[in-house]
This record gives sequence, C-alpha cells and structure tokens, in this order.
Amino acid sequence: MRTRSVIVTASIIVAAAIWVGTVGAAARAIRRFEATPGREASAPKSWPAESSLVRNHDAPTLVMLVHPQCSCTRASLLELQAVIEKSPRVMRTYVVVYRPRQMKAGWEKTDIYDAATRLRGTHVVVDEDGREAKRFGTFTSGQTFLYDAGGTLRFEGGITMLRGHAGLNSGRADVIHIANGESGKGTHPVFGCSIVSRGERR
Amino acid sequence: MSDMVAARAAEIHKAQTDIRRAKVDRMFAVLLIVQWIASIIAAIVVSPYAWEGKEHVLHMHVWVAILGGAGITILPVLLAFLRPGTTLTRHVIAASQMLASALLIHLTGGRIETHFHVFGSLAFLAFYLDWQVIITATVVVAADHFLRGIYWPESVYGVSNPEWWRFLEHAGWVAFEDVFLIWSCIFGQREMASAATRQASIEYLSEQEQLKTAALEMALAEMSATA
Repeated sequence: MRTRSVIVTASIIVAAAIWVGTVGAAARAIRRFEATPGREASAPKSWPAESSLVRNHDAPTLVMLVHPQCSCTRASLLELQAVIEKSPRVMRTYVVVYRPRQMKAGWEKTDIYDAATRLRGTHVVVDEDGREAKRFGTFTSGQTFLYDAGGTLRFEGGITMLRGHAGLNSGRADVIHIANGESGKGTHPVFGCSIVSRGERR
Repeated sequence: MSDMVAARAAEIHKAQTDIRRAKVDRMFAVLLIVQWIASIIAAIVVSPYAWEGKEHVLHMHVWVAILGGAGITILPVLLAFLRPGTTLTRHVIAASQMLASALLIHLTGGRIETHFHVFGSLAFLAFYLDWQVIITATVVVAADHFLRGIYWPESVYGVSNPEWWRFLEHAGWVAFEDVFLIWSCIFGQREMASAATRQASIEYLSEQEQLKTAALEMALAEMSATA
C-alpha cells in the first residue's frame, strides 16, 4: 500500500515537472519559429526587364510570390486582400505561385492558389521552377514588391507581423501608404516558408 | 436534534459534492484527451508541413500539438484518476484547460472563433460548483495575456504596440462571464446544502418514527405478556 502511494506521488511530481516545462518550452519554440523572418529578397531596384509579368505604366504594380503549400502564406493573402481593398483600383496585382518542375500536375492548386484567384482584379501566375522568383531575387513565400508607375521599386518585404499571423502590421500599412502616393519606410521583414530548396544556390 | 440534523446534512453535502467533483474530474480528463487529439488533427489539417522549395518537413505546429499537448494533458489526467475530487486536481484541471485553449487558438492561426473555447471552458468549469476554480482559470488567462502582451503582443492582440492595459480589457470580458458563473456556483452549492438538510431531516424523522414504533411494539408485547 505504501509502495503504491509512493509510486502515485512520484508519477504526479514527474507529470507536474513535465507540465511546467512544457508550457515554457512550447512557448519558446513557437515564438522562435513564428518570429524568425525568412531570407530577405535581393530585388532589382527597377522592374526586371526579363520578367514575363507586365508592369502597369499608369499606376503601381504589386507582386507577391507565394509557395502554394505554405500554410503561413494564408495570412499573407489575407493581408493582401486588405491591401487591395485600400489601394487604388488601377493598381495591378500579381500573385506568382511557385511550382517545381518535377511535381505532379495540380500540385500548386491548393486553397492558397484558390484564395489568390478570388482576390479582386488579381492575376494569378504559375511560376514554373521559380523562374520569376529568381528574377525578383525572392527566397521567401509572401515576399511582396510594389513598383511605382515608373518601374521603381518602392516596397519590398512581407505584409504579415509574424509567420502565419494575419492582423494590422506596419508592412501592410506601408504598402497601402505607398500605393496611395504617400511616403513609407519601404521595407518589412517577410515571414513564410522558403521558396528555395535546401542546398539550392542562387 | 438540530445539531444532529446539521451534522448529518453537512456529511451528506460533502459526500455528494465529492462524488460530483470526482465525476467532473473524469469528464475533464476525457475532454482534455479529446482536445489533445483534436489539436493534433487541427495542426495536421491546417499546417501539416513547413516547406523549403520542393522539400518539406513536419510543421512545428504538429510537434507542438503532439508534445506540448501531451505535456499539458498528462498531469490533469493523472490527477483526475489518481486524486479525484481533491482541490489540487480541479485547480490543475482549470489551468490546463485554459492552456489547452491557448494551444488551440495558436494552432488555428489565432482565429477569433477559437477564442470562444475559453468561454466554453469556463462554463464547463462551473460544473464543479467551486467558484475558486473559476478564479484560477481567469488568472491563467489574464497572466497569459499580460505576459504575451509584454513579450509577444502580436500573437495575442494582433498589433505590435498595444496599450499596457489591453490585457485588462480582454480579462474584463472573461470577468463578465465569471460574475454569473461564480454566482451560479454559490447558488448551486446552497441548493445542494438545502437538499442535504432536507434529506437529513427526513432521515432523522424516519429514525424517530422507527424508534417510536419499536417502543410501541415493545409496550404492546409487555401488555400481552402480563394479560
């Protein structure tokens, strides 16, 4: 009877230690994962001439490059919707969806792709093997560029506050300001999955 | 007479409260296990993998759901079966239930709809008819919002520079529900105490009747014997 009592008490103490440890460890792990930005883009300061995307010569052009399987990118598209709603209707918007060559047909047709097609006036372009991503020097899903009517890069970065977290943030606000002809910081960290495979060099 | 009835009523009240709380402990043990499984499913459905180009690895959220969920669940479940009905058990369950809410909210990308889990959980905790358990759960929610508000405000408020008192606003809505739940716990306990007193009175009266009947039968037997 006494042995059972000792075993029960010991089990409870071990479980209590795990319980306390878990709270701290899980919070730290999530925090590190979500607050660590992806690799910054090295975008051309002027619209890349070799791009197959057509720039708007009368109004800003916004380009967002996404990984269709990256769950964090859902938040980027939610933010993009807010940007589109508050930007001039003449702004041209592209969502460029990464698709590696060796993946089977339809790999890119995810809920993220569908969400992009539902955005007002947005052109959704499948990016075979990340060619456009290379032209725009992009490494991270959710990377957004805003070029003005003259083709000059005015904003580069992400428009979410954390990885997978939608909500008011300075990146989104900056893009809206610049698209409406106001001044802005022009950069913001980007949070999302990598568009580049491990070991792939650019 | 009244002392005997009061003592018996207190005994009945305690026994019924203990049985009720042990049952609620087991209910929460099952609920916590179901929530753990649900959080793993939610993580797998919402964000199964983190991608690097064409390669993928299991998403951090899946690991957090499996390991973090297990860590949160194991202690309250153990206590529910090894120490059912104790004060420690229900307070640990209350805190764990709130942590399970925080985990689910996080795994669903901070969806505002998942925040309703907190309010539903508080209502379930009221089944204990112990208002102090509601306070423990509220303190955990308020502490979570306060600390995250300082160190990680985006994850809880959706903005990076909330006012310092913003956690009070969130906790205030929880307190709004608490007022009614605490009242219902106190009222529920009073009703149980009242029912226990009624039962103790009936038991006492029944006992008195039995004693009277026995005395009467004895007197009749003596009269028959002398006749």
